[in-house]
Amino acid sequence: MIVIKTNNLSKQFRVYEKPAGLIGSLKSLFNNKFKEIHAVENINLEIHEGEIVGFLGPNGAGKTTTLKMLSGLLFPTNGNATVLGYVPWERPVEFRKAFSLVMGQKSQLWWDLPASDSFELHKEIYKIDPVKFKKNVGELTEIFQVANLLNKPVRELSLGERMKLELIASLLHDPKLLLLDEPTIGLDVVAQSAMHRCLYEFNQTRKITILLTSHYMRDVETLCSRILVISGGKMVYDGQLQGLKDEFGKEKLIKIQFKNLVPDQVFSKFEQLEITGGIVRLRVSKNDVPSVLAVVSQCEEVLDISIEDPPIEEVIEKLFVSHRSKSL
Amino acid sequence: MLRHLRLMFCFAKFSLLGELAFRSNFLLKILVELIWLGILLTFFKTIFGKSSNVAGWNEHEFLFFVGAYYALEGFVETFFLENCVEFSELVRSGNLDFCLLKPIDPQFFITLRRVDWSTAPKILLGFIMISFAMYEIGKPLELWKVPLFLILFLCGCSLAYSFLLLLTALSVWMIRNQSLMEVWWLFTNLMRYPRQIYDSEWALPIRMVFGFIIPALLAVSIPVEFAVKEINIEFTLFLFVIAVVYFKLSRMFFNYSLKYYRSASS
Repeated sequence: MIVIKTNNLSKQFRVYEKPAGLIGSLKSLFNNKFKEIHAVENINLEIHEGEIVGFLGPNGAGKTTTLKMLSGLLFPTNGNATVLGYVPWERPVEFRKAFSLVMGQKSQLWWDLPASDSFELHKEIYKIDPVKFKKNVGELTEIFQVANLLNKPVRELSLGERMKLELIASLLHDPKLLLLDEPTIGLDVVAQSAMHRCLYEFNQTRKITILLTSHYMRDVETLCSRILVISGGKMVYDGQLQGLKDEFGKEKLIKIQFKNLVPDQVFSKFEQLEITGGIVRLRVSKNDVPSVLAVVSQCEEVLDISIEDPPIEEVIEKLFVSHRSKSL
Repeated sequence: MLRHLRLMFCFAKFSLLGELAFRSNFLLKILVELIWLGILLTFFKTIFGKSSNVAGWNEHEFLFFVGAYYALEGFVETFFLENCVEFSELVRSGNLDFCLLKPIDPQFFITLRRVDWSTAPKILLGFIMISFAMYEIGKPLELWKVPLFLILFLCGCSLAYSFLLLLTALSVWMIRNQSLMEVWWLFTNLMRYPRQIYDSEWALPIRMVFGFIIPALLAVSIPVEFAVKEINIEFTLFLFVIAVVYFKLSRMFFNYSLKYYRSASS
């Protein structure tokens, strides 16, 4: 079953441009200047029931604008979409009951009250059957391991704890679709892992469809088999994560920390991104990682070594550059 | 209807719980409201210490008016004012997203989701003043007039709410709408005194604009005149009709404004 289908979905914004300074402000009182911004251009996609799809792209690429159109918050300038069989921006009540949008940077819980009170309010707003409500709260608090947090005022919770409760609130009414906008932003590694585990479990047990935006490669690697990449408002990749990594993620970033200064010339044959005091950061191809480790093993007083994928934005940027050069 | 009542009960309950989390702030707000009432009554006593009649209203009739105004203001402040003032912040921060995603009427949710309990005693105090004024007048309100007075009072509240909603909707375009409070203050000042104080010739423009086009002058005056003065059928009917018209208009304008909501970035 197709859950999300879009056809040339596009959104333009008219943005007010104000010149800098006092004189600029005074001039703009009489002569307003506007610029048309193409936030999203001709997006075509199909997402099927039960999929977890990662939606990636640099800042300002159009991810959130797309999510907001799919959730009915924004009207598109062109194109059309159906989500769960509804036209989202017509905002029928049945549609609003069938999905949830969670934004990592925003809270929908009452700040000064315990989350259990916000859940009660959700129960009334979504007309959740009391037996089902009790069952869902029990199950979800167990999956997210937050039973001890339900009666603490939300303002006293850590960011990770709050995000778990935000997710529970958004799942209480058994949505068929979950739209997540940077759900792990600001969370530490432990909280991120817990969030991944919960989302995965929820997807597996309830067959909920998830579309998630994130800047963290870990989110996408752990949860999503399929990814969409958007850049400059245009879709530049739709396919398996592995395909993207194979094609564009052929490098690794290595950080080595020495007790004293970095030894001279040892890493000269590798691309050195930065040397400060006892720390050196290298960018090498995956095939060269063993060579670097061999060199490191011969050095003395190595305190720490870490090997990471390049930031997702870098991979995406490469993808975008490649896409642009192909389209020229 | 039943569901909306249940939701209102929930909003009221959780707002009270929220207020009680900061008890001293809550009590201070109530104290300030009582001081305001004291100032209002002192001013009222001073005026009637020097004159037995203001614009055709004797002391007890005027006290009835003050009570009705105080109750109406309390009603609007308790249920709507804070929500409407907060609306521009919801637009600016993008938190309006969550209100629009909920499967309930956006206007109902946005304008009623928080109840300001610290102003609720004003409603009670207003009705105590009305009862006291009635006792002083020495002629109890006929039984058939009581429900009609309450309906007219609710029409006045509805009119005030509609003005507030129209101003609130402008926030979608203006984003920052601090002028909302200024305009609301103007309206409350127009409602605060009987419409007859604008009877002089120079006040004709005020009487025309705020008596017919934006009829703030009628919100309290007409229900009170119905109760303690001679019934003016035309104005009574006009208040009823204009309250319904303004409610419909403001609702249409509010829903129209939501179409222009652009949401803030993530």
